[in-house]
Amino acid sequence: MRENRTRTASEPDSLTRSDSKLARPTPSRNTSIVERSFESNLPILVVNNVHRIYDGGGRAVAALRGVSFEAEPGDFIALMGPSGCGKSSLLHIVGAMDRPTHGHVSLGGVSFDSLDEEALAQLRRKKIGFVFQFFNLLPTLTVAENVALPLILDGVRQSPAGRLTDEILGRVGLADRAAHFPAELSGGEMQRAAVARAVITRPDLILADEPTGNLDSDNGTEVMNLLAELNRELGLSIILATHSPDAARYAKRAIRMQDGLIEEPA
Amino acid sequence: MIAYLGLYRQFILRALNREKLRSAITVLGISLGVAVAIAIRLANTSALDSFRAATDAVAGETSIQITGTAGRFDEMLLADLGWLRKYGQVSPVITGYAMIELGAKGSGTSPDDERVNRGPFLQVLGVDVLRDRLLRRYRLVRVNENGSEPTTRELLMLLADPISVVLTEQFARRYNISIGNRIVLLIADSRREFVVRGLLLDEGPARALQGNFALMDIAAAQIAFNRIGLLDRFDLKLKHGLDVNIAEAEIESSLPQGLKVTRPETGYGQIEKMIAAFQFNLGALGSIALLVGLFLIYNTVSISVITRREEIGALRAVGASRAMVLALFLGEALLLTIIGTVIGLGLGMLMASTAVRITATTVETFYIAAAATETVARQVLGAAEISLAFAVALPLALVAAAVPAVEASRVRPIEAMRGADRLEKAFKPSRKHFVMSSLLFALGYVFTLFDPVGGLPLFGYAAAIALTFGGAFLVPNLLWLASGIGKRWFAHLFRATGVEVKLAGSNLRAAIPRVSISVAALSVALAMMVAISIMIGSFRETVTYWVAETMVADVYAGPVSRGGASGEGEISDESIAVSKADPQIAAVYPFSTQQLTYQGEPITVGAGDFEIFLKHGRLLFKSPADARDRIREAIGRDLVTVNESFSLRFKKRVGDFVELPTASGTHGFTIAAIYYDYSSSRGWVVMDQSTYVRYFPYSRPTSMSLYLKPGADAMEVSDRLSRAVSGSSQVLFATSGALRHEVMRIFDSTFTITYALEVIAIAIAALGVISTLITLILERRREIALLSFLGATRHQIRRMIVIEALLIGGVSQILGVAIGLLLSLVLIYVINVQSFGWTIQFHVPLWFLIQSTLLTLAVTAVAALYPAARAARVEAHRFAREE
Repeated sequence: MRENRTRTASEPDSLTRSDSKLARPTPSRNTSIVERSFESNLPILVVNNVHRIYDGGGRAVAALRGVSFEAEPGDFIALMGPSGCGKSSLLHIVGAMDRPTHGHVSLGGVSFDSLDEEALAQLRRKKIGFVFQFFNLLPTLTVAENVALPLILDGVRQSPAGRLTDEILGRVGLADRAAHFPAELSGGEMQRAAVARAVITRPDLILADEPTGNLDSDNGTEVMNLLAELNRELGLSIILATHSPDAARYAKRAIRMQDGLIEEPA
Repeated sequence: MIAYLGLYRQFILRALNREKLRSAITVLGISLGVAVAIAIRLANTSALDSFRAATDAVAGETSIQITGTAGRFDEMLLADLGWLRKYGQVSPVITGYAMIELGAKGSGTSPDDERVNRGPFLQVLGVDVLRDRLLRRYRLVRVNENGSEPTTRELLMLLADPISVVLTEQFARRYNISIGNRIVLLIADSRREFVVRGLLLDEGPARALQGNFALMDIAAAQIAFNRIGLLDRFDLKLKHGLDVNIAEAEIESSLPQGLKVTRPETGYGQIEKMIAAFQFNLGALGSIALLVGLFLIYNTVSISVITRREEIGALRAVGASRAMVLALFLGEALLLTIIGTVIGLGLGMLMASTAVRITATTVETFYIAAAATETVARQVLGAAEISLAFAVALPLALVAAAVPAVEASRVRPIEAMRGADRLEKAFKPSRKHFVMSSLLFALGYVFTLFDPVGGLPLFGYAAAIALTFGGAFLVPNLLWLASGIGKRWFAHLFRATGVEVKLAGSNLRAAIPRVSISVAALSVALAMMVAISIMIGSFRETVTYWVAETMVADVYAGPVSRGGASGEGEISDESIAVSKADPQIAAVYPFSTQQLTYQGEPITVGAGDFEIFLKHGRLLFKSPADARDRIREAIGRDLVTVNESFSLRFKKRVGDFVELPTASGTHGFTIAAIYYDYSSSRGWVVMDQSTYVRYFPYSRPTSMSLYLKPGADAMEVSDRLSRAVSGSSQVLFATSGALRHEVMRIFDSTFTITYALEVIAIAIAALGVISTLITLILERRREIALLSFLGATRHQIRRMIVIEALLIGGVSQILGVAIGLLLSLVLIYVINVQSFGWTIQFHVPLWFLIQSTLLTLAVTAVAALYPAARAARVEAHRFAREE
C-alpha cells in the first residue's frame, strides 16, 4: 500500500494542472443540456425540500421528508446517520438515479426536473462519479476497461480514452493491474479501480456510498486518502455516505440525518 | 456504434464465453430446431422436385396434352384430329410403369420361385418415334461411329420389333445390363421378355427418375400394356409463335366428346395440392422444434438479465442509456441465433436424407407413384433454405428476447447501490395469469369452429397455439402449488429425505419467476408429444377396427407391378378366370379403378359387382349407418357411394349430385351412401360394375377380393393360385392376415417421423431445464455454501437438486398431459378432418401416458445430475469467506 502511494506521488501530477490531459476529453458527438459550464462561486449542488415517499405494500413510507442543502465546488461532505435514516435515498436522488416525490435537485445549474431518462443517463456519465460499497466493477471487463467505461459510453475514441485510463490508473496505483479482471484484485484494489472509474470523466460531483464498508482498515484508509487527495488536488466535490466516524473525518463537513430529515445542517 | 461494439465485446461476448456450457446448450437447442425445420423442408421439396423434374423431362417440349376425359381413349380418334397439325406436332403416347425382374437378365428363364424378385420401377414411354423425335431428345450410346444423334431410321430400326426396348445408360450400368441382353419386365400382371436394343445417354427423358426410364415403340407398348387400339394421350408441341393459352382454348372447343386439353404441369399442380396438407402438417410439427429452440433464447436472455441485474445497474449508473442496454441483450440473442442457425443449416442437411427416407414411404404410399419418388435429399442448401432459416429464426429470436431485453433496459441504476432491493419479489399466485389462460382457452375453442383455408387447417393450428399458450400461462401458479405440496406432503411422506424435499420445495418456490419459462417450454414439448401420441394411438385403434371390419375377404390379389399410389397395373381376364375356376372359391370380386380429375383435384372412381359385395363384402358406412338397401338400389343405376374424404373435401352429402367426366362426356350421379375409408386421403367414388362399364369402357380390374368356401385354407388357396397364374401373369395373392399386417406396417412407418420430431423437441426442452438448473445453482452458491457450512452432506445437496428437478419435471408432465389431451382433440376432430378427411375415434393410450410420465421424470432427474454434482462441489469456506 505504502509502495503504491510512494510511486503515485513520484509521478508528474498532471491531474492537478489546469492544462492536464485529464481536462475533459472531447466527445465524438454532440452533447446536450448537461454540457453547460457554470460559475465557480455558485453552489455546485442544490437540494431543495426533497421528499421521497415509497409505496411499502400499500402503506406510504417516507424515506426523505424535506431535505435541503447545498454543496460548493470542492466541498467534501460526509452524510451520516443510522441505517434507514434516508442516506441512501438521498444519494440515489442526488446521483440522478431516482427522482424525488417532491422537491428539486440541480447540479451545476441544471435542474434534474427538466431532464428525461436519456438526459439523466448523460448527466450521470459526464457530471457524476459513483463509488459503491460493493465496488460494482463489471466482472467481464478488465480493470482498464472498467475505468474507461464512462468515456467509451460517451463516445471518446479508443486512444485518448486509453491514454487517460493509463494516467489515472497510475495515479491510483493500479498501472500494473490494468489488464486484470476484477476477480483477480483485492478488495482495496477493486475500490481504487472504482474510484478511478468515478473520476475519469472529471465529474462535478463524486458520490461515495460506504466506500470503506467492505474493506479492512488499511485498505479503507488508503481509499479515503485517495478520495481526499482527489478532492484537494482536483477540486472534485464529494459526498460520502458512511457509518464510519473514521471515514467521516476526511470530510470538510458532515450532514447528519435522522428519520428522513437533516439533523444538523452544516 | 463504436461504444456499442466495444461494450458488446466486453459485456456480452466475454459473459457468453464465461458461461460456455449455457451458451453451448442454447446454440445446440436452436441449431436442432433449425435443423429439423430445414430437414423437413428439404424432404418436402425433394419429393415434389423430383416428381416435377421427372414430369418436365418426360414432357420434353410438349406444351399441350390431349387426354381422355375418362382415362384412355380409342386410337381411331386420331384420324378425326388431323386439324391439330395446324397447331404443331402431335405425338400419340402410351405410358405406364413396369417393374424389372432382377436375376432374370439374359437368361430369359422364368423362375418357379413363387416369390418374385422385385426390382425397381421403370417409367415406360411408348411413342411413335417418327413423330416423337420432334418433341423429345433421345441420344443413344454407341449407335454409330461418330457418336452423333441417331437418325430417325436408326431409331426406328431399333424399335421395329415388339420385344425391343431402349433403357438408359445410367440404369444399365447400375444393373449391369448390356445391349443385346434379354430382360424381363412385369407389366400389370404380365411377365414379358424384352431385348435391350440401345441405351439412352443421360439427358432428356432418360435423365428423369435417376435413369429408371424405358422407351418402346408405341405398338409394342400397346401390346405390353394390353392396350391394343387405345391411347393414353397425345402430346402436342405448338408451332413457334402460337400463344399457348389461345391454342389451348381453341383446341378445347374443337375437341370431340371424351377428350380434353391439359398441360404437362397440371399433374404436378394436382399432386402439389394433394400433398399440401400432409406437408403442411409435417412442417407445422417441425416448427415446434424450432419454437422450443426459441424458448431457449428467451430463457437464456432472461437468465442473463436476472443474474446480471447488479451489473446492468452499474452500467446504467455510469451512464449507459436504456437503448444501449436493450441493444446489448438483443445483440446477445441475435448472436446465439446466428451461430445456432448456421450450425442448424449444416445439421439440417445431414438430417435431410433421413427425413427424405422416412417421408418417402408415406409420399409413395399415398400420393405419388413409387417410380416417381426415387428421391434423394439435395446435398446442397439453396439460397431459399438459407434465407428462410435466417428470415424465420432471427425475427423470432428478437421477439423471444424482447421481453427480457426490455426488462434489462428498465433496470434502474439504483440496483447497483447498497440497500437496493436485491432479492426478487417472491411469486404469489396471480389471478392475472389465470384470467389470461381462460381467455386463451376460450379463443382456442372459437378457432376450432372455423372452416379450413384453402384446404389447410390454419384455424386448427391457431386453436392449438392458443391452447398451448393458455396452458403455459398456468405454469407459475402450478409451480407455486407443486412447491407447496412438495414441502408439506411429500416431506412427510418420505421422512428419510424430508429435509431435502422441504428445501427443494422452498427453492423452487423462490425461483418461480426464473423456472417458469423452462417449465413452460418443457410442458409444450411434452403436450405435443402426448397429443400426437393420442392422435396416432386413436388413429391406429380406428384403423385396426376398420381393417377388421372391412377386410373380410379371405384372399386379396393385385398385379405385382402395382406400385403404391400409382394405381397402375391391371389384372388380366385370364387371372380372374383361373381364380373363379378354383374349386374352393365361393366368389371373386374384381374391382376396377380409374383416376379422374374432379373440381381440379385428382379422385379415384372405382367399381365392383355390388351383388357380390352385398353377399360377401363389408364397408363401414358413415351415412346412412346401414347402407345395404342403398347399395342394392345402386345396382345398374347412376347411384354411387363416396368415401368420407370425398364428402368432406367437396362438401357433398347423401342425395347430392356429382358430375363426373366419363368417356361419353360429363355425367351426373347421385350419392347413395358415404363410407369410412382410411386407405387414402383422396376422394373415392364407387359404383356398381354394370354402371361403370357404361361410362368407363376402357378400364379393367386392378385388384380382386376372393371369398372362400367354408373350410378352405386361405394360405393354401393363395399358394395354389400363385402357381396357377405364374406362367404368363404375375399376380400377387395375399391372405387377409398378411395384408392387414402390411396395412399396419405402412401405418406405423407413416408416423415414424412424427415420433422422431417429438423426441427432438423434448430433447431441446430438456436442454432448457439443464441450463436453468445450472443458473439457479450458480446464483444460489452462497446459500448452498451456507447449507454445507451448517453440516449438509454433499449427498444431501445433490439429492435436494435432483428433487427440485423432479418437481419441475412432474409439473411439466402434468401440465403437458393436460394440454396434450386438449390438443389431441383439436388434432383429431379439427386438423385431421380438415387435412385428410378422416374421422378418428378418440382413444386414450393409458399405458403410453404412464410410460411417458416415468420417462419424463427420469429424463429430468438425469438432466439434474450434472448441476447437482456442480452444486455439491460448492465449498463451505466460500460462505465463511464471503461473510
